[in-house]
Amino acid sequence: MKRSIRLALGVVLALPPLARAQAIGPGFELERSGRYADAATIYFTTVRSDPTNLPALLGLERTLFVLNRMTELLPLVQNARARFPESPALRSLELRVYAALNQTDSLEAIALRWAASVPRSDAPYREWGLALADRRMWDEARRAYLTGRKTLGGEGTLAIELAELEQRAGNWEASAAEWARAVTQAADVGPNAASQLADAPAPMHEHVARILTGPDASVAARRVGAELLLAWGQPNEAWVVMEQTLGQGGGDSDTQVALRRFADLAGTLPTPEGHRVRGMALTRWADLVPSPVSERARAEAVHELLEGGDRAGARRVLEAHADATALGQASLLQILIADGQLDVAEARLETSKTALTADDRGALRLALAKARIARGELDRADAALGDDSSVAAIAQRGWIALYRGNLKDAMEAFRVAGPYAADRAAATERTAMMALLQRIQEESSPELGAALLTLARGDSVAGVAALRRAASRLPVQGGRLEVLLLAGQVAAQKGGEQEPTAVALFDEIVHAGGEGAAPPAAELEWARLLVRTGRSAEAIPHLEHLILTYPNSAFVPEARRVLERARGAIPKS
Amino acid sequence: MKRRDFVRTLGTYGLGGLLPSFTVPYRPLPSLLVPMDDAQTDHLKAYGLAYRAIQAGLKAEWLLNYRGGSFLIPDLDALRRDAALNGIWFEPVDSGIPAVRGEIEANNMDAVPLEKAPKVAVYAPPNAAPWDDAVTMALQYAGIPFTKIWDAEVMNGGLRDFDWLHLHHEDFTGQYSKFFLIYSGMTWLGEMVQRNSDMARRLGFQTVPDLKKAVARGIHGYVENGGFLFAMCTATETIDLALAAEHVDIAATFADGTPIDPDADAKLDWSRSFAFTNAHVEPNPLVASFSDIDGHQVNGGARRQPLGAFTLFNFSAKIDPVPTMLVQNHRQVIPDFYGLTTSFTRNRLKPGVTILAEEEGAPWVKYIHGDLGKGTWTFFGGHDPEDPQHQIGDPPTDLSLHPHSSGYRLILNNVLFPAAKKRELKT
Repeated sequence: MKRSIRLALGVVLALPPLARAQAIGPGFELERSGRYADAATIYFTTVRSDPTNLPALLGLERTLFVLNRMTELLPLVQNARARFPESPALRSLELRVYAALNQTDSLEAIALRWAASVPRSDAPYREWGLALADRRMWDEARRAYLTGRKTLGGEGTLAIELAELEQRAGNWEASAAEWARAVTQAADVGPNAASQLADAPAPMHEHVARILTGPDASVAARRVGAELLLAWGQPNEAWVVMEQTLGQGGGDSDTQVALRRFADLAGTLPTPEGHRVRGMALTRWADLVPSPVSERARAEAVHELLEGGDRAGARRVLEAHADATALGQASLLQILIADGQLDVAEARLETSKTALTADDRGALRLALAKARIARGELDRADAALGDDSSVAAIAQRGWIALYRGNLKDAMEAFRVAGPYAADRAAATERTAMMALLQRIQEESSPELGAALLTLARGDSVAGVAALRRAASRLPVQGGRLEVLLLAGQVAAQKGGEQEPTAVALFDEIVHAGGEGAAPPAAELEWARLLVRTGRSAEAIPHLEHLILTYPNSAFVPEARRVLERARGAIPKS
Repeated sequence: MKRRDFVRTLGTYGLGGLLPSFTVPYRPLPSLLVPMDDAQTDHLKAYGLAYRAIQAGLKAEWLLNYRGGSFLIPDLDALRRDAALNGIWFEPVDSGIPAVRGEIEANNMDAVPLEKAPKVAVYAPPNAAPWDDAVTMALQYAGIPFTKIWDAEVMNGGLRDFDWLHLHHEDFTGQYSKFFLIYSGMTWLGEMVQRNSDMARRLGFQTVPDLKKAVARGIHGYVENGGFLFAMCTATETIDLALAAEHVDIAATFADGTPIDPDADAKLDWSRSFAFTNAHVEPNPLVASFSDIDGHQVNGGARRQPLGAFTLFNFSAKIDPVPTMLVQNHRQVIPDFYGLTTSFTRNRLKPGVTILAEEEGAPWVKYIHGDLGKGTWTFFGGHDPEDPQHQIGDPPTDLSLHPHSSGYRLILNNVLFPAAKKRELKT
C-alpha cells in the first residue's frame, strides 16, 4: 500500500464519526484520478468504522462497479440497512446492488419487503424499477412500476417513470400514453413531457401526436400535443389542437401559462405560419391578461399576424379595439395600404397626423408612395412624399425620377440619399442601379424608365421584354450589356419558362465580352442558374472560363466558391 | 510509392542526384515556384496542384523550409491554368532557379523530388458523412483523389492496393466511441451499432471488439510491409489499445457482453503497438475516454484540460528530411483543437517515437511519427483543426473559408510525404 494511502487511512481512523464522514475526501480525489481500487480502500475503511456512512457506501457502489467487485458491497449494505431500515437512500442502494449482481428474484423480494413497510409510498417501486432500468432490463422494470401502480392505485401513479422507461426502450407511443397520464395528474410536468417527446424520431411523430390529441385525451395532454406539433414544425395543426383546449380551460391560470408558452414556442419558428400562429395565440392571451399587458400583447400579435401574411386577422384585432394606440393606428394604416385601400389610407393618414409619431408618419408616407408606384401612379406617389426631406424620401424620389426616364435626376437623388437610406436591401438595390446608370451616357431614357417601372409593378415577364427593347437602343459598351444583365437576372430569378430567356441573355452578354463588369457577372449568374437546376457539370466550364478570362474581376472569389460547390469539394452552406 | 521502393532507390539517388551534373552544361528548365509562405493565396489547394503535377507524370520538387515549404513544378500551361482556377499563387522562375538552389544549399533547407502520386485510402464506414473527417475534407478541397475502404477491404487484403492509409475517429476497441450509454436511443448511434454488428457477423467475428482488433492487426501488418499510416483523433489511441489488448478484454459489457478484465492494465502487451506503452485503460463505461494516453480527456469530467497551442519542431532538412516534410508550415505555433483523443501524454510514448509538435511545458504532445518495419506511421491528435470545440452535430467545416489553415497543412504534408523520393537518413 502506498504511503499516501496509508496516511489517508490513518487520518480517517483517528477522527471522530462526524469528521470521519467528511474524511472520505481523499477517496473522491483518488476516484476522480481514476485510481478506483485505492479509492475503494478508503471507502471500505470508513464503512468499517461507520457502517451507515452513506457517502462512503455510495463511493463503494461507484468504484466496485467499475472494478467488477460488487459482491463485496452487498453485506455492507445489508448491514447498514438493518441498522437504519427507515432510510430510503439505503433501501435504494440495496436494490441497486442486487440489480448490479443480477439477482432479480432477491431484488423483487427486497423491494416488496420495503413496500410493505411503507404501504402508501411509491418510492420502493420507483427505486426497484430504476435499478432494473439502469441495467437496461426494460421488461422487468416495467413490471416493477406496474406492480406499484396496481398496488397503490391511481392511473397516474409512476407515470413519469414509465414514460421515461418506455422512451429509453424506444417505445414512443407507450411513452406518450404515460406522459398523457402524468400531465393529467399534474399539469406542471407538461414542459418536461413535451421536451422529452420532442426527441421522438420523425416516423413516430404522427403516432405520438395521435395519442396526445385524440378525443379521449385530457386538456393538459392535448396542450402537450400542441407543443410537440409546434416543435415538429407544424404550427397550423398545433394551433387547431391548442385552440380546442381554450374553451374548456377558460381563463384559468393554467390556460394563461399554456397560451403564453405556446406563443413563445411559436416565436422560435421563422416561417410565416409560425408568425401567424404566434399572432393568434397572443391575441387570445391578450384577452386573458389585464391592461397594459394586454395592449402590448395585442400590438405584438398584430405585428406577428402581418409577418405571417394574415392581414385580415391583423385588421380584425385592430378594429375590435377602437381605443387603439398610436402603434395600433400605424399598424391599421399599414394594413390598409397593403390591402390596396390607398385613398382610405391617405385620408386617415391626414386625419391621424397628431396621433402618430414622426417616424411612423414618415414610414407610412413611404409605404404609400411605393404602393402608388406599384400602380403606376407616379404623380400621386410624388405627392404622397410631400415635403419629406429625409434621405429615405429623397431615395424614393430618385426611383420616381428613374421610372419617368429621367436618369440624370435619378442618379443625383441616389447620390444625395447616400448608401444608408432605408434598409440594407434597399441600399444595395440603389447602389446596383447607380452602377448600371453610370455606364449609360444618355441623361434620359423613357424606354428604360418604363421598363423598370414595369418591373417595379411586379410584371417581370413584360419587364424583361421591355428591358431588352430599352437595351437595344443603347451602345454595346454604353450600358446595353448591363441592362441585358438585369433582364437576365430577373428572368433567372423568375425561373420556369423564363430560364431559356435568361440563358440567351447571359450567352449574349458573355459573347459580347469587352470591358465592364457585365460579362463576368453574366457568366457567374449563368453558372449559378445551372447549379441551381442540378446541372453542376455544365456550370464548371463557365466558371473556369470566367476565372481564366477575367482574373482581376471582383466576381472571381465568388466564382471559385461556386466552382468548389459544383465540384463537391466543399459542403453546401 | 511505398517505403521499400524508396529504399531500393537509395543507391541511385543521393543529394547529388537533385543537383545538375557538373559534366553536362546546366540549363534550368522554366519552372513555377509555388510559395508556401504568406504570399500564398490558398495553401491547401497548393498541395493538390503539386499532387496533380506528379500524378500527370511530371517532375516536381518540395523545397523544404524554403518559403514555408514551397513546391517547384514545371512551367506548363496546364499547371498555370490549374493554379489560376484554384486561386493558387505561383511565381515563374527560370533564371532565378540557381539562386533558389544556392539559398537552399547554404541554409537548413533541402529540395526533395516528388515522383509518384500516392494512392490514398481513407478508412471510414460506407455511409460516413463526407464532411465529418478532417482528412476527407482536406483531400476533397485540395482535389486529391482517394478511395474509401472499411473493415471488409482491410480483412480481405485490400490495403495492398494503396500507398497511404488514413484513419480518423474510428474506435478500434469496438466500443462505439463509448457513446453507447451516453447517447442511448439516438438514431445515428443505433445505425453505427447495427452496421458494425452486421460487419462483425459477416466477417465471422463474435463481437465487434474482436473484429476491430483483427482490423487493427491488418493495418499493423500493412505498415510493417511498407505502408504509410496517418491517424487522427480516436483512431490513434484506440488502434494501439486494440493491438496491445489482443488477448485481453478491454471492452465494456455493452460492447461484447462481458465486463472489462479487471487486470487489463497488467495484461496489455505493448510490444504490439505503434506508439504508446504502459497506458491505463479507462474502465468506466460511462466515461467517453479510453485511457490515459490522451492528455486532454475532453470527456473526462474533472480530468479535462483546457486547450493551448502547439509548436512544431524544427528539424534539420538535410539530415532528417522525413520529419522536416511532416512539419512544413507557414506558422510554427498553431492553436490546439479537441478530439475524443486530443493529445498524447509524454510518459506514455514509446522510446524512439519522434515528436513533431508539442505544447511547451505541458505533459502532452500533439503530433508524433515513427517507423515500423518497412513503413511509417504518423499520429495527429484532435478532430478538426478549424473547429476546436467540435461537438456532435456541428455544421461541417467549409475549408474555402480557411484556405491558409496551418492545422490542415499538417494533414496535407502527410498526404504528399509518400510521394517524396526517399533518401537515406543520416541519423
